[in-house]
Amino acid sequence: MIQAQSLTKYYGSKTAVDAVDFTVQPGKVTGFLGPNGAGKSTTMRMIVGLDRPSLGSVIVNGKPYHEHKAPLREVGVLLDAKAVHTGRSAYNHLRAMAATHNIPTSRVHEVINLTGLESVARKRVGGFSLGMGQRLGIAAALLGDPATLILDEPVNGLDPEGVQWVRKLTRQLAAEGRTVLLSSHLMSEMALTADHLIVLGRGRVIADASVADIIKSAAQDTVRVRTPHSAALATLLAGADVTITNVEQDVLEISGLTVNEIGDRAAAAQISLHELSAVSASLEDAYMKLTQNEVEYRTGDTHAEAEVAR
Amino acid sequence: MSTVTNSTQPDATRTVFVPTGSGLSFLGLLKSESIKLWSLRSTYWSFSLVIAAALGIAVLMAFAMSAGTDPAVGAMGVDNTGMVVLVATAGLSLGQLIVAVLGVLSISGEYSSGMIKSTLTAVPNRLPALWAKVTVLFGFTFLVGLVSVVGSFLVALPILGAKDITASLFDSAVLLPLLGNVLFLALIAVLAIGIGTIVRSSAGGIATVLGILLLLPTVVGLFSFLVEWVADIMPFLFTAAGSQMIAPTTMESWQAFLVVLAWVAVSLGTAALLLKRRDA
Repeated sequence: MIQAQSLTKYYGSKTAVDAVDFTVQPGKVTGFLGPNGAGKSTTMRMIVGLDRPSLGSVIVNGKPYHEHKAPLREVGVLLDAKAVHTGRSAYNHLRAMAATHNIPTSRVHEVINLTGLESVARKRVGGFSLGMGQRLGIAAALLGDPATLILDEPVNGLDPEGVQWVRKLTRQLAAEGRTVLLSSHLMSEMALTADHLIVLGRGRVIADASVADIIKSAAQDTVRVRTPHSAALATLLAGADVTITNVEQDVLEISGLTVNEIGDRAAAAQISLHELSAVSASLEDAYMKLTQNEVEYRTGDTHAEAEVAR
Repeated sequence: MSTVTNSTQPDATRTVFVPTGSGLSFLGLLKSESIKLWSLRSTYWSFSLVIAAALGIAVLMAFAMSAGTDPAVGAMGVDNTGMVVLVATAGLSLGQLIVAVLGVLSISGEYSSGMIKSTLTAVPNRLPALWAKVTVLFGFTFLVGLVSVVGSFLVALPILGAKDITASLFDSAVLLPLLGNVLFLALIAVLAIGIGTIVRSSAGGIATVLGILLLLPTVVGLFSFLVEWVADIMPFLFTAAGSQMIAPTTMESWQAFLVVLAWVAVSLGTAALLLKRRDA
């Protein structure tokens, strides 16, 4: 469990993290989202004590990170793939990390097998691909069999098999009762992996809810219609609450009306339809809407209020 | 690892994972730093070079001494014992530079590669990691220095013996200066770790520590011609105190040793303060 309270970080005059409060629950995969520079990495660094909060506090498994007797057993962290000396082999890196906590060498071999690094474990890390570096970072995070895992962009540079493996691994770790905090810019992957989401924008929490709730609240379902008479249909359906987008030749995407309403009205006007299907909103849509709103709140309050009123 | 993933399972039935097993210990940190030191090629290169330079220069000097005429030996102004010590430790001055670079790199390499983040997440209180690094590098540098001077002594003795110059290793007039040189060598490594931690960059760290070892005596020496009192601080320079420790002239050995320790303490103390306070 990770609990942040009014957690704040200033870098000079810039506020990287602005008084955020959140709780990351055990037994779930929590996705940590936000545009570049939103404060995700800084927050993660503060959780494990690499950066000192300017104000506020964050505790992991009941205590500030540095007060734990066995920090690697409490929290496993992958901050970026480059937290390894390039002149050292993967095996020796993990052995050096394990030695600090008297973790036996058998566990080093275990995490090497688990992450599929057997063939390159004795090679120097400097020659690793981005994906191999990520696997080593994940191996290091798992070394202490920690109760909490913090993974910053773990699928960055992984092949499709690796992406799927991280998904299964994080879901399994959460199912074992561990706390998993995961950041990624791949929304489709996040939708499959996470149970809960915390979205940051400009150093603030702009959403903290389950994946389903975030999609429901931020994005609208749309209806996809294919018709040779797209112009006529668009004119017919136009209304105050209806948005119609011509996505390609003869294809409209319509929000604000249900499939039934569109079908009935087209039939009444004798407009033939070649396709009529509901498209559920994706996490990506919801995310774009959320983070775009964040920007709108900054530039003009009147527009933001209009959004809310609708 | 046997639990099956099931996203529909309610949260209440999930147990909170509690970690078990051993934790941080200083002995573990020493082991970790030893692994780190000996898993880099540069360590083997550096230490081999220290020993090779010491032995090579000892052999060269011994031959030079024994080839010269007797007055030439006398002109050095030292007795037989002093001659042997000089020959056995001459090559260590090159070793001092190598060890200084190694000391800086042992920490600056962690900063440049990002390894420092792994180190500090494993040891969030930070200072124990620094003390462990210092202890390990001091210990191994001392050992390498000891091998260098004893080895140099042993290879030089038969060559010098041709000119009837001889000495016993266990004569305190031989052993103490040899150990003094080795101790100074190991303390240079510690000074360098401190400087490397303060500047966090390999280039800057190496420049600073070589400046202290090579440039500072010359610069201060030049200034002493211009400003009279500057001459008085000359003996308190790191290198000057290092040689006074072994061959005392203006101050006692123990006083010179305290001056050396003060340099090391300032470097390491500043390093500790900054390491604790700065964001990694």
